[in-house]
Amino acid sequence: MTTTSQVGKATPPSTRHTASAGSPPLRQSRDKIDPTFYWMLIPVLALFAFFITLPALVGVFFSLTNYAGYGDWKFIGLTNYINIFKDPAVLQSYLFTFFFALTTTVVVNVVSLAIALGLNARIKWRTGIRTVFFIPMVLSALIVSFVFNYLFSNTLPVLAERFGLTPLASSILANENLAWIAIVLVTVWQAAPGATIIYLAGLQSVPSEVYEAADLDGAGSWRQFTHLTLPLILGYLVINVILGFKGFLGTYEIIVGLTGGGPGMATQSVAMRIFSGFTGGDYSYQMANAVIYFLITLLISVIQLRLIQRRGVSL
Amino acid sequence: MNAALPTRRWLLKAAGFSCAAALLPLAGCATSSQGQEEGVTQLRFMQNKPEVVAYFNQVIKDFEALNPDIHVVQDFNEGNFVPSLVRNNPPDVVTRGFAQATADFTRKGVFEDLSGLPSAGTINPKVQALVNSWGQYKGETSAIPFSLAGAGVIYNREIFAQYGVAVPTTWDELLAACETFRAAGIAPVYGTFKDTWTLQQGAFDYVTGGTVDVEDFFARLYAKGAGIREDAAESFSSNFGPALPKILQLTAFTQTGASSKNYADGNAAFGKGQAAMYLQGPWALSELVKANKSIQLGTFPLPATNNPADTKARVNVDMALSITRNTPNRAAAERFVNYLLQPSVVNTFNEKNAAFSPLVDAPAVSNPQISGLAPYVAEGRYYQGAGTYFPPSVPLGNYIQSFVYNRNASQFLRDLDAEWRRVAERTAV
Repeated sequence: MTTTSQVGKATPPSTRHTASAGSPPLRQSRDKIDPTFYWMLIPVLALFAFFITLPALVGVFFSLTNYAGYGDWKFIGLTNYINIFKDPAVLQSYLFTFFFALTTTVVVNVVSLAIALGLNARIKWRTGIRTVFFIPMVLSALIVSFVFNYLFSNTLPVLAERFGLTPLASSILANENLAWIAIVLVTVWQAAPGATIIYLAGLQSVPSEVYEAADLDGAGSWRQFTHLTLPLILGYLVINVILGFKGFLGTYEIIVGLTGGGPGMATQSVAMRIFSGFTGGDYSYQMANAVIYFLITLLISVIQLRLIQRRGVSL
Repeated sequence: MNAALPTRRWLLKAAGFSCAAALLPLAGCATSSQGQEEGVTQLRFMQNKPEVVAYFNQVIKDFEALNPDIHVVQDFNEGNFVPSLVRNNPPDVVTRGFAQATADFTRKGVFEDLSGLPSAGTINPKVQALVNSWGQYKGETSAIPFSLAGAGVIYNREIFAQYGVAVPTTWDELLAACETFRAAGIAPVYGTFKDTWTLQQGAFDYVTGGTVDVEDFFARLYAKGAGIREDAAESFSSNFGPALPKILQLTAFTQTGASSKNYADGNAAFGKGQAAMYLQGPWALSELVKANKSIQLGTFPLPATNNPADTKARVNVDMALSITRNTPNRAAAERFVNYLLQPSVVNTFNEKNAAFSPLVDAPAVSNPQISGLAPYVAEGRYYQGAGTYFPPSVPLGNYIQSFVYNRNASQFLRDLDAEWRRVAERTAV
């Protein structure tokens, strides 16, 4: 997530520069680069290296030890890495996290595309309604999940009991097989506005002439959507899927606020497992877990970047 | 190893510099606003209970009046402790609940030896043994107990009197009492299963503590080290089996919807008289009184067998004082610890907080909320909860919650054995 956004922020000036350097009528000579660009980049680069890269390398170093976060330690080689592959609790957290990220990405994109289509149509009070839809985005995920926690645990069961819906009368957060649904629901509620904004921007970039032409040719609204809208906003879809998926892989605070990883071990995400190493005296072991997780997300990012390049979309 | 040391020092230095750089502006503000006086030693005292901040502020005030050359700053942000160790700038005097997690600091030599302090001799050796049982660093006394919390079943005296139920002394009497309340339409036990720790310190610790010799079991388990198979004599599977059905019997007597209630819900509901019994420790008492000022509460140790002589109370050393090693203010820190361990300070604290004093000549407990546990504590008939022996990297509470929901005892025991084996393997290397 961080890396992509950094790349995203860092690239535009340089690409624009090379593009403008290519055009001949320029005050500067071809090989001289305006130092302003370096002044813009170097502080960020230094901060990034010092506060993200260096600590990450320290973490990698300690993953090869049995350091508990304090006290004496020694090198143990790759033992932590080997043990992780033998730990069903960790493996289960990986399965859960990927399952959760995939499901949530699909649901978020379907929901936010639908909302964006609705908000892009000529409806009454469009601006007001748009504002209402974006409120979840400005609320902290932790607060949202605590509020939903209360709704799921107290309000919903009482309502269900009153209307005689016995299967819903006990909190779904207390059900090992259903708790993930609540987490997906809240995550979607929180993440959909962000995706909706991107889709809205995409929909507004589609010129209305193409729809007029399609109307003249007699295409129905479903055909217009699948043959015109979707291909024209495909770049935005790819961005949403990639950013969303990567964000959901790091899911943490919504789960903490809703289930705390329970009931039992049903909703433990990888990030929660890694974080437990700081409090649990399991620092080096969970650092090894973090390194593995980093490599996996790196691999996914590379694959996604390849896909993007083939599609001709730039982040 | 040789190559490691400079690297590590370098890393720590780098980390230190970065922290220093980040904190410089803040530190500048702090010193300029406080305006430290010449010749005054500043001590940092870390404790982890927000509810007793006011009490310690008063204690510190009294201490400073007697010792004008020492200034004590109270710090109740426990989350800072490990980072402060990493920065090599820990608080001078520390008090924490003493169990597996704190003992791990002790075993790694984070604390000074306190056996030479004059106040160390005033502590009940049985209570000191509770601290030492977690393992010592080179035979030292790393922590001196300050407060001993006794936990059992909190009960609503009015509801017990209304239905003519006496305090149960055997397991069968306890079940009979539960049946009586259920027949009367009152929830026998208030369950707060959503907070897994309440299941762990309640039903799990109470039943296992009353049926298994917990201290001996974990001593053998730790001695055996890594590689304990399920069929080994030391395993959970071989020892905890008989206790588990009783946990399920007990949790079955909770109100409907216990799985969606948390600790705060439980305090509010039990305070309003919605259940007869509550498996919580003394820390809940003030919350219950807050919910209902006129509530009449008592505590009895959970009888887990039909022999009343087996019944024991769950205790934990809720606060134990330590001085961090290599503090530059050792002499001042020792004077402060000695002051804290004066009978007037210790006993007043424990009386106010429904806890037991660890001193040899502790006064008799008169608080009716915990007097039911007093004879057990006085006779030393107590255990430290099985849950407290687990390293914090084992999500025990989650496993217990799973067990209570799915009622699969063999799965639970297999999980515990496997989890213990993995943690032992990776921490023993």
